[in-house]
Amino acid sequence: MDFLISQNYVNYVCQCGLLKPLTNLYFCRHCLNLRCSFCCHHEVDSHFCRNCLENIPSSEAKLRKNKCNSCFDCPSCSFSVLSARATTIQVPMTVKEKQEGEESSTTTSEASSGKMVAKKMYYLACLACRYSSRDVGISDQASQNFCWPEQEYMHANRFNTILNYYQALVLHDKQVKQDEKRRKTTNKSKFQSMTDRTGLNVSAIRRQMGFDKTVSKPKNKPASILPSMTEEVEELSEDIFTKPINLKNITTIEQRFTQPANQPESVKHLYPQHKNLSIKRSIRCRHCEHNVIKPEYNPTSIKYRIQQFASSHVPEVRIIKCYPLMPNKSAFITLKLTNPTMNDMTITIMELPTDDEEVMMIDEMKKNFESLTVSSKSSLMRPSLIEDPRIVSCKPTAKLELPDSSFVINQRDDSAEFDDEIQTDKKDPKFVIWRKANKIAIELSITPNDLKVNDEVIVGFTMHYTYSTVPSTTAEKKDSQQRHALNARVYLNVGNIVDYSTK
Amino acid sequence: MSRNENKVKIMPKAIVCEDCIIQGDVTISSGCVVHPSAQIIAETGPIVIGENCIIEEYAKIHNRIQPESPDKPHILTIGPNNIFEVGSVIEASKIGEKNIFECKSFVSSDVEVSNGCVICAGCHLSGGQHLLENTVIFGKHCQQREALDRISGSHMLQLDFLRKILPNYHHLRKAKQ
Repeated sequence: MDFLISQNYVNYVCQCGLLKPLTNLYFCRHCLNLRCSFCCHHEVDSHFCRNCLENIPSSEAKLRKNKCNSCFDCPSCSFSVLSARATTIQVPMTVKEKQEGEESSTTTSEASSGKMVAKKMYYLACLACRYSSRDVGISDQASQNFCWPEQEYMHANRFNTILNYYQALVLHDKQVKQDEKRRKTTNKSKFQSMTDRTGLNVSAIRRQMGFDKTVSKPKNKPASILPSMTEEVEELSEDIFTKPINLKNITTIEQRFTQPANQPESVKHLYPQHKNLSIKRSIRCRHCEHNVIKPEYNPTSIKYRIQQFASSHVPEVRIIKCYPLMPNKSAFITLKLTNPTMNDMTITIMELPTDDEEVMMIDEMKKNFESLTVSSKSSLMRPSLIEDPRIVSCKPTAKLELPDSSFVINQRDDSAEFDDEIQTDKKDPKFVIWRKANKIAIELSITPNDLKVNDEVIVGFTMHYTYSTVPSTTAEKKDSQQRHALNARVYLNVGNIVDYSTK
Repeated sequence: MSRNENKVKIMPKAIVCEDCIIQGDVTISSGCVVHPSAQIIAETGPIVIGENCIIEEYAKIHNRIQPESPDKPHILTIGPNNIFEVGSVIEASKIGEKNIFECKSFVSSDVEVSNGCVICAGCHLSGGQHLLENTVIFGKHCQQREALDRISGSHMLQLDFLRKILPNYHHLRKAKQ
């Protein structure tokens, strides 16, 4: 199954002009168009830790630097999550001793010192590479959660000062800009006064007189920070090239990159790393601003609240079989088309648009969209975010003999699988080989262009299909179900030209 | 086969299931547990397995004939407290004590394993080398790391459990001196 689906032999053209397999496409129910991840708007819905499945509000996630408080990644293999392991150790009664001492002062230290108490202590261990927090000298903890010592970073202070400086700088710049704007807008007053025209407004007079406060008021520019420059660089020790190194003690590049703030050189500094948070994201159509994908909020759920995958709306094309391809000789290909919707579909296979037609289509799309944005000013997004549609880069290298009539694919019926074969007495055209439930197999003939041996043969066609919108609310009548005629451009990679000379 | 079978020495208190394949001169010390369908094959010379070792299902300990010196007999001595997990293939020339060979690991015949080493799951170790004590081999690229001393006898609980459970469901080979 993976072989069939993961190889992208059949590609659909997204509205933005990119070629994608059907499984990577979405279908906007409101624009009735295909959308891909490239021409959609991605939004972060919620943050969560994929290990403990805790939901973390975005403000808190920012505060925690997008890391989980309680889960740790292994710094050594960065492959698995560290798990807390318990050990029991014998400790002399210290805590209890004090308690006892508080409760009754009669117990003497000699009586309790002899007692040993089993105490549970925890350490972190990696089950994949046998790393443990003891390796780097973190002492065992009495509690399983939260109290692991935080690692201190060498440059933490420096980073904070830089961050503060630039935040202050941004604020300062904003203020300056605002002030300028204010001055400009006051000048462009509707009612020009006489003093304005003569250049003698109040502030100008003030300036001339020399006690202007607003203009010469010094802006408190943030104190600049020292550049990070070290005057002296330590010389390399002489034995650096002669001393044998122990690779076991040196971290790998991957290990260093998992801790960008620290980048330890020795394995002694591989401290447990807080696990990075994951996000749930929703995907929004950029044209109509409706969601195409919206996951459920709960991190434990993998379901969607809105899911508009193209594979459940657009007929799927698969290649069943293709005869050996030779240049300028016709060969048959067998395609299987599946109707994923609950309504019958009428499909017509047509030729791809020519280059000029494609340019015209794109122009029309742009125009449509511009009128849309003008009409709805309340749009949340800037139109600049919308990707310009482009011409499809893929060019077919074979000619497809189009079938002379359209055909119908039956609706999807989950119970049909269990029924016996029911032959519909629809008179199918000749090119239909078989039909089963919501699937149909057709045979078409293709003629590759004058290609060399091992060249890829690509066939393309426009699939014209009828699509019925399902009323979104039950209050709507069944009559409101509308039928649309939609187009999808499909490119098939049917294989390579065979070397017939050797046969 | 029958001649070889006779050479197998199983010390008392060792638990060796009948379904395992033991060929050649193999000595299994007391306290060992050999699961069904484990393989211990002594081709070049005898294999001596120390006390309290666990040899799990489909693990294969092989004392193979070296192509460069086929006539030289070589004794494969395995120290006490080793664990050979499911599907590991061990052809090492010498094995110390307290080592763990995880699932599907492979150790070739020119490797000497000292004490307290761990070969993590799926790691293939080949090429002449001597593993220092407490070395951990892990990851896709068989990285090496030095671990702390492990507490000895950490697998005693597992051994006790196996000694109790295995005789209930499997025929055992009788101890032979």
